Parts: sequence; C-alpha cells; structure tokens
Amino acid sequence: MKKSSIFGIITIAVAIAIIICTYGSASTYGTFKDADSNSGELHIIGHIDKQKEIVYDATKDANYFSFYMRDTIGNERKVVYTGTKPEDFDRTDKIVLVGQMNKGEFHASHILMKCPSKYTQDKLDVKADTKKASI
Amino acid sequence: MNIAYQGEHLLPGQLGQFFIVLAFGSALFSAISYYFATTNTNKLDTSWLYMGRIGYFLNSISVIGIGACLFYIIYSNLFEYHYAWEHSSRTLPVYYIISSFWEGQEGSFWLWGFWQAVLGNILIWRAKSWEKPVLTVIALSQTLLASMLLGVEIFGSRIGSSPFILLRQAMEAPIFSRPEYLSYIKDGNGLNPLLQNYWMVIHPPTLFLGFASMIVPFAYAVAGLWQKRYKEWVQPAISYALFAVMVLGTGVIMGSLWAYESLNFGGYWAWDPVENAALIPWLTLIGAVHVMIVYKNTGHAYFTATFLTLISFVLVLYASFLTRSGILGETSVHAFTDLGMFWHLVVDVVVFAIIAATLLIIRFKEMPISKKEEDTYSREFWMFVGSVFLALSCLQLVVVTSIPVWNAIFKTSIAPPSNPVTLYNVFQAGFAVVVTLLTGATQFLKYKKTDITRFFISTVLYLVFAAIITGVIVYLTGVYKLKFVFILVMLGAIYSILVNGKVLADAFKGKIKLAGSAVAHIGFGLIMVGALISAGTSNVVSQNTSGMDYGADFDKANNSRENLMLYKNVPIKMGDYTVTYVGDSISAPNHYFKVDYKLLDGNGNIKEEFILKPNSQYNNKMGLVSSPDTKHYLFHDLYTHISMAPLNVMQAGMDLGHDQETNDDANYNAPVPHDMAVGDTIQYRDGYIILEKLNKDAHVQNIPITGNDVAVGADLKVVSHGITYQAEPVYMVKNGSVFDFARKIDDAGLKLRLTKIIPEKNKFEIMVYDQPEGKRPYIVMRAISFPFINFLWSGTVIMIIGFLLSIFRRNKELKTV
Repeated sequence: MKKSSIFGIITIAVAIAIIICTYGSASTYGTFKDADSNSGELHIIGHIDKQKEIVYDATKDANYFSFYMRDTIGNERKVVYTGTKPEDFDRTDKIVLVGQMNKGEFHASHILMKCPSKYTQDKLDVKADTKKASI
Repeated sequence: MNIAYQGEHLLPGQLGQFFIVLAFGSALFSAISYYFATTNTNKLDTSWLYMGRIGYFLNSISVIGIGACLFYIIYSNLFEYHYAWEHSSRTLPVYYIISSFWEGQEGSFWLWGFWQAVLGNILIWRAKSWEKPVLTVIALSQTLLASMLLGVEIFGSRIGSSPFILLRQAMEAPIFSRPEYLSYIKDGNGLNPLLQNYWMVIHPPTLFLGFASMIVPFAYAVAGLWQKRYKEWVQPAISYALFAVMVLGTGVIMGSLWAYESLNFGGYWAWDPVENAALIPWLTLIGAVHVMIVYKNTGHAYFTATFLTLISFVLVLYASFLTRSGILGETSVHAFTDLGMFWHLVVDVVVFAIIAATLLIIRFKEMPISKKEEDTYSREFWMFVGSVFLALSCLQLVVVTSIPVWNAIFKTSIAPPSNPVTLYNVFQAGFAVVVTLLTGATQFLKYKKTDITRFFISTVLYLVFAAIITGVIVYLTGVYKLKFVFILVMLGAIYSILVNGKVLADAFKGKIKLAGSAVAHIGFGLIMVGALISAGTSNVVSQNTSGMDYGADFDKANNSRENLMLYKNVPIKMGDYTVTYVGDSISAPNHYFKVDYKLLDGNGNIKEEFILKPNSQYNNKMGLVSSPDTKHYLFHDLYTHISMAPLNVMQAGMDLGHDQETNDDANYNAPVPHDMAVGDTIQYRDGYIILEKLNKDAHVQNIPITGNDVAVGADLKVVSHGITYQAEPVYMVKNGSVFDFARKIDDAGLKLRLTKIIPEKNKFEIMVYDQPEGKRPYIVMRAISFPFINFLWSGTVIMIIGFLLSIFRRNKELKTV
C-alpha cells in the first residue's frame, strides 16, 4: 500500500474519532426530572423563581449561593452553586444550568446567562414619560 | 403621520446612507468590470480594466465617506441616530469613541470593508498580471460586505443593517410622537464598561485586518485555477498568506490580553465560540502556508495547498456567520444577537464556498498533482503531515463550536459538552504534540532526500536533550500533576525550541534566509510553554476554608471554594500573603478597592508590600461590572478581582465626605457604656480604646460657643487590628441643654459617644457602639497566580518577528524570480 493512502486512512480515522468524541462528550438538555434519575451532568434551561428566597450572604459564606429555578415543564428545585452570586443575576430571568442532582438539590457547576447588554436590547430609558404626566 | 421633528441633524445620516449605496453599487460595478476584463480575449482592450479600477476607487472613497459620517455622528453626540445612542455617551473620552465606533456589528463590518478597500488598492498597484482575476474576487467580497450595511427594504425584507438608522426608526415608543422628543434624550447608552480598555481601541482593527487579508491568498488561488495558471499563483500568495497569519495571530492574542486585563473569568483563554471563530481560519491558513512552501520547493502537495488556502477564507466567513447570526444562542456569552441578517450571512458563506468548490472540481483533472510519492525521509512529506494535523485540529474546533448549527440543521437538541474547556484542552494538546514535534524534527530533514543515519542521530540526540530539560521544567513547575498529554506538549515545545534554536544559530553563520521560520517556530514553542505552565498550574490563591457548614455533602462538591471575604481593615492570611482591604478610591464611574498585599518572612518582617486596585463600576445597563488588577512579576502574575461588593459599600463610597447626623443606631449592636478616667484603657472585640486626654476647648462645626456654654471633647485612641485611629466625641451644654456629638470610625466599624460627665469620680461615660459584622464594609475577591505567563506574551512577539522575517525573505524571492 502506498504511504499516502496509509496517511489518508489515518487522517480519516482521526476525523471520525473527533466526531464520535464530540457526540460522546456532548451533554444533553433536560429537565429536573431527568436529573433526578440521571447521575451525569445535564444542561437545564429554566426561569428563576423570584418569589422564593435567593440566598447569598458573603458574611456567612462567600462561596454559597442558592436559589430556586423552574424548568421548562414546570418542575422546581433548589439550586446550589459554589461561588459568588453572578453580578447580573438580578437582571436575568432565563438561565441555563449545568450540573447534577444531589439529594434533592441541584448542584450547578456553571450558571450561564446571556450578557444583559445584548439580552435586554433597546429599552429606551427616557424620563419624558414621567414628565409628561406633570405637563 | 407627518411630524416635523425638532433639532435633528439629518444631513450626516443621509450623506452616510448615500455613501453606503454608492459603496455597494461601485463595488458591484467593479466586480463585473473586472470579470469581463479577465474574460476578455482582446488583450489590447483595456476599457474593462479601467472601469474596474474606477469602480474600486469609487468604492474606497465611499467606504471612507461612510466612516467619516459615522464618526462625525458619534463624535458630535447626535443621539437621534440609533448607533450613537446605543454605543456612545457624552462622558466618553475621545479614544473610547473610537472603540464605540466598532462596538456594534455595523461598525465592525465597516472596519472589515475598510481594510479590504486598502488591500485592494495595494493589489491594484502591485499585482500586475494578477490584477484582473484577483480584484474580481475582492470586489465581489467588497460588494457583499457593503450589502451588509445597506439597510434597505427589498421585496418586503430588509437587506443588511445600516448604522445610519434613526433612533425613532429603530424602535417604537410613545415619545416619538412628540416633535421635540430629542430634548428628552439627554445621553446615550454608553460604551460597555468592559470595552473601555485601550486594547479595545487597537484589538478590533488588528483582528479585522487579519480577517480582511485572508481574502488575498484566496483570491490568488481562485485566480490561479480560473486562469489555469496553476503553478504561478502560489509564489506571490505565500507572502500575503504569511501577512494574514501574522496579523490575525496578533489580533487573537491582543484579544486574550484584553480578556486577561479586563474580564474576570480568571484567565486569557476560555474556548468561547467567539475566540474559536478567530482561531479556526488561522489554523488552516498556517497549514496552507506550509504546504504552499512545500509545493514551491518540490512540486508536491498541490491539492492540499490549494484546498487549505480556499477553505481558510470560507472559514473566515463561516466564523463571522457563527458570531453574528445569533445562532450560538446560549452557548456563547458574548456573541452578537441576530440583527435579522441570518440568511444574508449564510448567502455570504455559500457564495464563496460554491466558487471554491466549483473551481476545485472542474479543474481537478488539470491540476499539477505529482504522480511520484514523497520520500519518507523528506522534509516535504512531514511538512505535509503537520499541515494536515493543523487542519484536523481546526476540524475539531469547528465540529464542537458548531453544535448549535448541527442542532439547527438536524433538528436535534444536543447540548455543548458540560466541560468544554477540558475537552478542547485535551484534544488540542494532542494535535499540538504532533505539530510541535514536527516543527522540530523536519528541520533535520532536507527536501527530496535525506541521509537517514544522520537524521536519526541528530533527532534522537536533541530529543534526549529536550526530554531532560522537560523533566526539570515539569518537575519544578508542577506540570507533572496534569494529564500526561500536557507533558508531551511540553516535550514537543521544548524540542521545537531547541532544534529551531540550532537552526537560528546556523542562520547567523550564513544561512540567514532560514532565520524567519526558525524564529517563528521558537516563538510558537514559547507560546505553548507559557500557555501550558500558566494555565495548567495557575492556582487560586484565595482558597477559602472558612464559611458556614451547609452540610457535609456540599463540601464534597467538586467545586472549590475560590472566593474570599475581607472585612475592611481586617488582615487575612491568603496563601503566602497577608491581605487587607484597606480602603477605596473613587474615580467616577470606577470604584477602586485597595487591597494591600504583604509578604512576611519567617520573623514576621515585611519582605514585600504592594497594593492592588481591582475595580468595579455600577452600570445602569449591565449592573456591577468588575475588572481585575494584576501584579506582574518576571516569572509570575498575581491576578485579583472583585467577585462581589455589597452595594452599600459602593454607595457609601459615592457619598464620601457627607457626614450624616441621622440616627443609625440600628446599624450597630446594643451600646456598651464604660466609665473611664484619663489614661484608662478598655477592650472591645477588635482591639482597645484609650482615653488619652480631655479637650476643654472642643469645637463642633457651625455651633458657636458663647457665655455659659461648655464643650468637652474626649480624645480617644482606638487600636483595631494594629491600625490606630483617633476620634473625639464631644459633650456639650448649650443654653442649659445637653447635647452630645457622636464620632464614627467607619473603617473600624465603631461609633463613640461621650454621654456623661461624672465630676465626683472624675470619670467620663463613653458609649461604644460596635457594628455587627454584616453591616461592616467588606469585599469578596478572588486571586489567582499565573506562573510563567510572560513566556506566552514574549513567545507571541518572537513569533511575529519570525513572520516578518519570513515575509521579507519571500518578497525578496519574488523579485529575483
């Protein structure tokens, strides 16, 4: 067999390996229900429940942050994150969590939020509206 | 409804819009003319060529016109324009107006178009016989870029997005029914604080010059295939490809320097899709440069060289589709949102992909593909192998970064890997091992045929030598704790540096033309070494072991506790350092937190002391935005950023200097009275207080002392955590009434009052108010040490120098051939 064909086969093999590995390492989007029965890490999309308590108190523990999130089909769980409360958390509504379930609490390793500057686009903050009332 | 709006400046916008349409039209005209100039069989007829040139010049002028109008609008704070309102504000200094110019998508398209205009003019001047076909391609690209800015409605759908759109056209609000609406819009949104950094002034132009110059080798390859000048296009394209690789590489590194200096994810590279998008075409073009050189020297690898050159530019367009179309959605923190140009961007990719694919297919049979096999011990074979591996590493980036694209195409819902950084690191490290080893070993090989024994002796000799050095470095820096593949990368990088060092030494002895590649390879090796050590062994200095017990299970979580809370003026031991949050300084809108670092030796003497000032600013649009501060040493960096600061600290900072006499006892624990005589000392939780003397002549601001009035001050010395403060609470009898004036020491969390004078005992009652911990000023910060990061930056500079030397060499060859 020619050397270039051997090398060609190696190249194709590596390319296939890349694709399989990507597929294998890819995570899945799921719900809290899936997380209950699944031990691996999952992506869960949901909304922060702003009615329930959002705990972050640096004076007690600078690395403990917890809140409640409702996933897309309505399950709600307590979420715990080791770290500080993300700076733009209060301005966000929809988030993506990466992590796994641990005794009824979801332990997030990442909290993904869209950059608010680009997320909440074009809110015209004009004081005219309040003035209008007084005119 | 027609409203005569007041105060609007419509002229610059109309002029700008005119230039956009002119730029589009003239580029299209130029592309068509150049096309006919190329296909025209009558060699004496130069009319098409001149028309093509005129079109291109006109396009260049219009592009400059667009830029001038847009700059004028931003510079003059004309907030009736959406772009100025969205990206700028009155308080922005001039040099950041430049960055706000390209903060938006439209501005960055303009930047791209501007550089492409410049490059096109250089090619008109220099390309000679290549001008017609090459400029056909570039003018076509210029047409598509201009179309991105058009912003006109055609058949009910908007084509492109114009930067000259008015605020009242861009959005709907009741205010726009008022003719004098503009008088209510006092200021723009301002520039994202994270972009207010000097790197953001020069990083985008560099990056886009890199992107823009990728088209030149592409255009040469297309021209070569189209005009059947198969062998000739390679030679001139090498210099331009080297230039593109050099500039794009510089732009990418500038971006990571910016991330390192002003973002707080704690590093310089995060494999974010936006970063990958710039790296993807860089990898393939680096591969292309190598196989182009192989082809030039040996006649082998023609197809690979052509293919990689063509695919590189298609990948540039694909990358801009990824970052600009909004398809990345949640997978990227800082990709743009969709401006309604999704399909427009797709068309852009598809047009050039089809041109490339068609030419490759119809010309395949005629391509000068060598029938003979490369020798196993030849330089060309292993350079070819290395280039293919670069392309494979690019493939891995493309496949993983494009997961949202696969989802859109196949209607699946795969999530990105939950730990993408590890995945990328391991994969890319695997490719880096092969590539770095090859950049070393191929130096011992000659084109065509090599003496095998000599090759093996020198390769093995250097490899052993490299292994010894790697062993020492890996042991000293702690890299051995990482995955094995990273140690192999270190070996490859060191090997490459050693071998290319030898080549460089030979170059100084006479083979000077080899210097360029040797220097670039050394630079690349250093980048690998620096990246490996600094990212692999970076350690969080602020590991926190305190904190409430939230349950044993929680502590076992793999997340490490990386943030540390510091009360003001309370020193805390952090790694080898003793750190103290000592104060704030405000330079609006930035709030700087002064963090004092002390390094003590065994006897408690201060070996070193410095202050870092990480800052935060409260931004209406984005909330609290923090930027780190870094102490640079020759061999490591100490990086510190604020993860969180209570808002009351920020606000307290804002009203510094306003002494409020409001009753704030609620902020303190229940007061403790002490009867003290002069010279007495009392203890309190954080230290002690001494009554030094009495001041019979105390004054309180704005209150005159007359007749029978008495004012007595107690001079108190407070020592808290080794820091001494002075305070003088005052007791006053005025017009028969008793007052007392409390004094606060915010930094120590104390309020002190002189509440009673007990003449019979010659004692004084001092009331001590102690602030509970939660109410006292504090910050939460994270500190990371990055060892040997300077290898990364210096490697970059060396690599750029190497590219420059290579460009000079290739240009010289061009003239002699």
